[in-house]
Amino acid sequence: MAWVTWRQHGSQAFAALGLLIALGVAAVLTHLPIASAFGHDSLSACVPPAPRTGCDIIVPHFESQFSGLVTATRILAVLPLLAGLFVGAPLIARELEFGTYRFAWTQGVSRRRWLLSKTTLLAAGTILAAGVASVVVMWWRSPFDQLEGRIAPGGFEIEGLVVPAYALFALALGVLAGLVLRRTVTAMTVTLVVFGAVRLLVSDFVRPHFMAPLHRVIAATATSAAPRDWVLSNTLVNAGGRRVSAANEELAVLHAQQAGIDPHTYIVTLGWSRIVSYQPAGRFWTFQLFEAGLFVALAVVLVLVAVWLIRRTPA
Amino acid sequence: MSAPPLVAEGLAKHFRRNDWALRNLTLTIPKGAIVGLAGPNAAGKSTLLSLAAGLLAPSQGSITVFGRDPLQSPEVLAEVGYVAQGAPLYRSFRVADTIEYARRTNSRWDAEIATELLTRIDSRAKVAALSAGERARVALALALGKRPRLVLLDEPFASLDPLAGRELLQLLMDGVAELGATVIVASHVVADIQRICDHIVLLSGGRVRLEGDVEELLESHRLLTGPRRPLGSIRGVREVVRERYSGRQLTLLAITEGPIVDPSWTVDPVSLEELLLAYMAPERLPAPRTTEGVPLRWHG
Repeated sequence: MAWVTWRQHGSQAFAALGLLIALGVAAVLTHLPIASAFGHDSLSACVPPAPRTGCDIIVPHFESQFSGLVTATRILAVLPLLAGLFVGAPLIARELEFGTYRFAWTQGVSRRRWLLSKTTLLAAGTILAAGVASVVVMWWRSPFDQLEGRIAPGGFEIEGLVVPAYALFALALGVLAGLVLRRTVTAMTVTLVVFGAVRLLVSDFVRPHFMAPLHRVIAATATSAAPRDWVLSNTLVNAGGRRVSAANEELAVLHAQQAGIDPHTYIVTLGWSRIVSYQPAGRFWTFQLFEAGLFVALAVVLVLVAVWLIRRTPA
Repeated sequence: MSAPPLVAEGLAKHFRRNDWALRNLTLTIPKGAIVGLAGPNAAGKSTLLSLAAGLLAPSQGSITVFGRDPLQSPEVLAEVGYVAQGAPLYRSFRVADTIEYARRTNSRWDAEIATELLTRIDSRAKVAALSAGERARVALALALGKRPRLVLLDEPFASLDPLAGRELLQLLMDGVAELGATVIVASHVVADIQRICDHIVLLSGGRVRLEGDVEELLESHRLLTGPRRPLGSIRGVREVVRERYSGRQLTLLAITEGPIVDPSWTVDPVSLEELLLAYMAPERLPAPRTTEGVPLRWHG
């Protein structure tokens, strides 16, 4: 089956290779000015926890200089989805659409073995390609990771182990969708929607609770709470520890302005402070392991369902 | 004694509710037979072959190939050479790739048989660029290269011109003779079946209308022609399959059980084509009747 898989999916392997080369070239080209700025301003001395003086000016300047690029890298979060759309979804749907399953599934290889060997080989290729992409992105983002951390979604979702895990999940989702829906385009659409929904669900409702978040009390007027951590919530509380509502906060500011006092000073004199709930930067790899494990487990379940269903398939 | 190549017992298949493609089909295909699976379009021929090839699951009853259920024991498919209708192949593959595919996925691949069938076809040509005849030949080479003990062909001649069809038929018969395989050819073209088959299964409306050895069937059926008359029982006739009136003439297709002694009947042997057409006709149509109060009118 290795030969069969290669014959039918070799062109996709080349497409993936082309994509990786393009990604690599783009990464190298865009990284040059970043590296030069990073070295020029000796930003490595600004890496927490002991930044030198002046960093509060240099770091925001550096960040704003490249914020456009960093925002653009978030599009890379869709890369794993390609495995589902263009490899997974057509895998069975195309055979059903063109009637070639009547040839492929009546040879000496049972269709369960056919599906299992193809999926395994394609999964290996997918992991390899996504892994390489992940390494490239990690290299590119390393200056930002040092300054801003990478446990917040912007970095977390395009680095590390989760990238191959997302790709594997997308692949399995596409395969199952193609088997159940029997149309390539429909399967692609469903793969897209379900992949997006599951990713959002996990990043918004599951990942924050992988481990109990830590809390830290900071001055009510502090701007930057925890430079490299993933801040989940940042609430203003009064001296009794009760949450201050937005309306009350505005009232206090208004009050201070009418009295001709600096609102910041006024809020401090009220005894208010901020409670920050966050996931510390040090949990990055633990969280990567949890999330990757979750998506790999989902992928395995989807493939097993497909293997179970394929014998009872076409009517 | 090995199990027969194909046994169906109470086999039924429906796709949508109350849309039965096959109903309560019981059938045993003897070893070594060349079976013509005849019937009009939508008779259930493709469905039966798909069930035998393990592509469909029965709705009721069972089907076994060499004693095994092709869906539960897909390893039996290694002994089945199946060519689906329209000979679906990967269009982007070269002929050589297609052959390689079959070689890699079948343990008993016989390159010699396949090569013999593929002379005069450029192995570097894309499948999409082949003519219908060439494509059918590639599909046949794939099926016979497995050294199957059972060959299932679904309308193999449907898209071929008569010459290519005859050539394919010859290749099929040569290959089958070498392998000693049992063959089931589904076709709605009686002439194709007539040329090669020694056994007939006629399906219509999802049921078996006629089944048996071709020679025996031709021997037991006779055409009786005589002047028009009310039909009573005729000595030597067991059952009248079809009656046809033309002018003052009456023609009967009958199953005989002895010599026809009545000299007013001219007795002729029946051709396979006539026999199949007679059984293919839907259940006897009711005689046209006028509803009272609505006079029949001539149009035109």
